[in-house]
Amino acid sequence: MGAKLAGYFEQINKELGPIGRMNLALLTSISSTRALMEVDSPANIQVFEKAMVELRKTAKK
Amino acid sequence: MRISTKLMLFYVAFLAVFCALGAALVADLRSVSAGYEAVLNSSVRQMDQARIVQVNFKKQVQEWKDTLLRGHNADDLATYTKQFHERERDVLQGAEALSSQLQDPQAKQLVQQFLAARLILSQKYQQAYRVYVEGHADFVAADKIVRGQDRAPTDLFDQVVERLGVVSKQSVETQNKAASTAQNLALGLAGGLVGLLGIVGFLLVRDIVQRLAWLKSVSDRLARADLSGLAIEVSGHDEIAAFGKSMRGVRAAMEELLLLSMEETSAKS
Repeated sequence: MGAKLAGYFEQINKELGPIGRMNLALLTSISSTRALMEVDSPANIQVFEKAMVELRKTAKK
Repeated sequence: MRISTKLMLFYVAFLAVFCALGAALVADLRSVSAGYEAVLNSSVRQMDQARIVQVNFKKQVQEWKDTLLRGHNADDLATYTKQFHERERDVLQGAEALSSQLQDPQAKQLVQQFLAARLILSQKYQQAYRVYVEGHADFVAADKIVRGQDRAPTDLFDQVVERLGVVSKQSVETQNKAASTAQNLALGLAGGLVGLLGIVGFLLVRDIVQRLAWLKSVSDRLARADLSGLAIEVSGHDEIAAFGKSMRGVRAAMEELLLLSMEETSAKS
């Protein structure tokens, strides 16, 4: 449960560090702890994908 | 629905209610005015016409008396006879015109009675005139024929005026009742609509204030980093709901920050 969602936190931590993790939680309204409890549903995955794209875009600026 | 949309709708509803009330008031005033105008144009005007006929009838009688009094002079006889016939014609025309306009059967019948009495009196005047002329201004003999006979037709016209007065009063009373009913209806409707808008406005403001108070309590807990069991349930699609969603993000970010802090502490130790 939520392994894929938790994977997004690991990925963003690698790419942008702790600030990225915080911002991912901010944009998705789900912290990494809660992500583990959430279901890897298509809707949740879509929310995380969208947030990742936005964070990467912001980081490039 | 967004709060701004709700407020705008409330404002528009308020404006619409007041515009509708204004329009209803204007229509009501027009209706009352038209009603009173109808009263003035019918029974009140007919009362005036009846009085004119009555005055002309009295003038006609006066011309007859002048004829008797001064008819010994040929010029005066011609003048007063002519004036007598003119008044007689005015009375006839006026009474017939009034009779054709009257809608009240009782008043109409009284005018018809007057016309019949006037016809008989007219014949008697002609007879008296002949006696007067043939008797070389014998006013005593002439007067005997018509003496006191103008009273009954005059009294009939008094009754016509009185009857029209009653009709006029009834029409005004009916109109007053209609105006009063319309006024009460307008007041009731206005009160009801304003009351309804007041209730809707109160509920709208209370809902906004309650939800803002809830958001403040959430914000206070986030400020104290008191996240344990903090549930941010968001309902609706308005600005407050959007703010609530934003608060969820803040809560998640703070949870992540606390987690990072714990990870950092455990890494150091």
